Amino acid sequence: MKKYRSFFLDPLWKNNQILVAILGICSALAVTIKVQVALTMALAVSFVTAFSSFFVSLIRKITPDNVRMIAQLAIISLFVIIVDQFLKAFFYEMSKVLSVFVGLIITNCLVMGRAESMAKNVAPIPAFLDGLSAGLGYGYVIIAVGAIREIFGFGSFFGFQIIPLSWYATAENPGGYVNFGLMPLAPAAFFILGGFIWIANIINEKRL
Amino acid sequence: MSFDESEKIKEFHPPKNYKTLFFVVILCSFCALILAILASSLNQKQEEAKTVDRSKQLLIAARVLSYQNYFLIKEDNEYHPAVFDQNSDNLVETSEIRKATQKEILYIYEKRVKPKLIDPKGNLVDFSTAGINYQKYLEDNQKTGYASLKYKLIYLVYPNASSSQISDSTKPIGYVIPVNGMGLWDAIYGYLAVESNGDTVIGTTWYEQSETAGLGANIALPAWQEQFHNKVIFQKAPDGTTNFQRAQIGIIVVKGKVSEVYGSSPKSDSAVDGITGATLTGMGVTDAYRDVLKQYRPFLEKLAEGK
Repeated sequence: MKKYRSFFLDPLWKNNQILVAILGICSALAVTIKVQVALTMALAVSFVTAFSSFFVSLIRKITPDNVRMIAQLAIISLFVIIVDQFLKAFFYEMSKVLSVFVGLIITNCLVMGRAESMAKNVAPIPAFLDGLSAGLGYGYVIIAVGAIREIFGFGSFFGFQIIPLSWYATAENPGGYVNFGLMPLAPAAFFILGGFIWIANIINEKRL
Repeated sequence: MSFDESEKIKEFHPPKNYKTLFFVVILCSFCALILAILASSLNQKQEEAKTVDRSKQLLIAARVLSYQNYFLIKEDNEYHPAVFDQNSDNLVETSEIRKATQKEILYIYEKRVKPKLIDPKGNLVDFSTAGINYQKYLEDNQKTGYASLKYKLIYLVYPNASSSQISDSTKPIGYVIPVNGMGLWDAIYGYLAVESNGDTVIGTTWYEQSETAGLGANIALPAWQEQFHNKVIFQKAPDGTTNFQRAQIGIIVVKGKVSEVYGSSPKSDSAVDGITGATLTGMGVTDAYRDVLKQYRPFLEKLAEGK
């Protein structure tokens, strides 16, 4: 039982896929523009990593070694397409916002990273827990990045305006508040993510 | 390669390759099977979601439905929240805002929106008169747009009345034109609703686009689309009058703010603010309105001149 717990807790912080392993950075830049998008993405990635790890582990003993990556990729794409189709059918408006990014989960290195470094070596249930928490660990980081970018880039959080519109600069009041124009652009995510990784490194070093 | 080596390779590989191939074929067929089942079971739901979304966007463009999903009725040139009343088969004004259900939206759409065609001379014709099947016409042309066809699609929006009161001779309160063009990344599709004078814009929506999220994709946001209300599609002359025969047609998405580009000149009545960081999308949108409306011009001129 204790072992299962460490499978679940390890990727959340100590072995966080973004902060420590520096995986999945590319999608973290693209989908962190707003919190709602980041949240949907986090759930989608968690679902995909959890189930693809489970199935990769299930067939680990019969998978020939020379095609194991292709086999993993086939399983990962299967779940990504399931998520995409599901969103299109039941959350049409969300799927319109996410557009191509759902399909791009296939290329998220952390999904493949979990399959290759963990799922192919352990039993299905630990693999499932490990995949799920790797996705969640990725999720909370991109939601945090999304929150910072949305608040400073748009003055809103989860789509609700939180910086009062009356603070904003207008023609009459040019000295007012202006949204930080860099935030909606991809480089901003780089800087924020870099800052997070730095902080995580400091904390982890202290603990050692 | 010596004889010995090729012997060795032969010894090692054939059984392994055979097993690998077998494994891959089984795995792929299994995945394909699951996806095929999933796609066929969800297909209907997805098509439904798409159709509902399009109908909704059309009603929003025509201001029968608000962006927040409640009905609107127009009184004394102002729009008030309304709810659907079963007894009178009508929308009635309400002080208590209630979101419309999907069923109500589809019912109102069926009742008050009617697709028709415009012939090359700019006259309205029915689908049956033109001998065209509506469903097939939509399927064939929804990718490429309707503006360049010989018979162009237009939606008539009827006033708020019970279904028995709406007939072919009812005067529409507005016309909705399907607009399409090229954005920065891909094709964009939307609606433009004009009043029965053929000039004043009621509203616009973009229901399908894949522009940059947070920048160009803002063309799909209510805050940006609201600007189009009460703009005119025939550009006014410097003295404020409109010559429908000669005026330029379209709505211009300017780079920056309208007030900075055109000041208070009458041209500003046909222009909207651009989106910072989305100049190319704005140009695509401008082109889309101009190119599509140009094709509908004979019809719009007739409306504007009251013929």
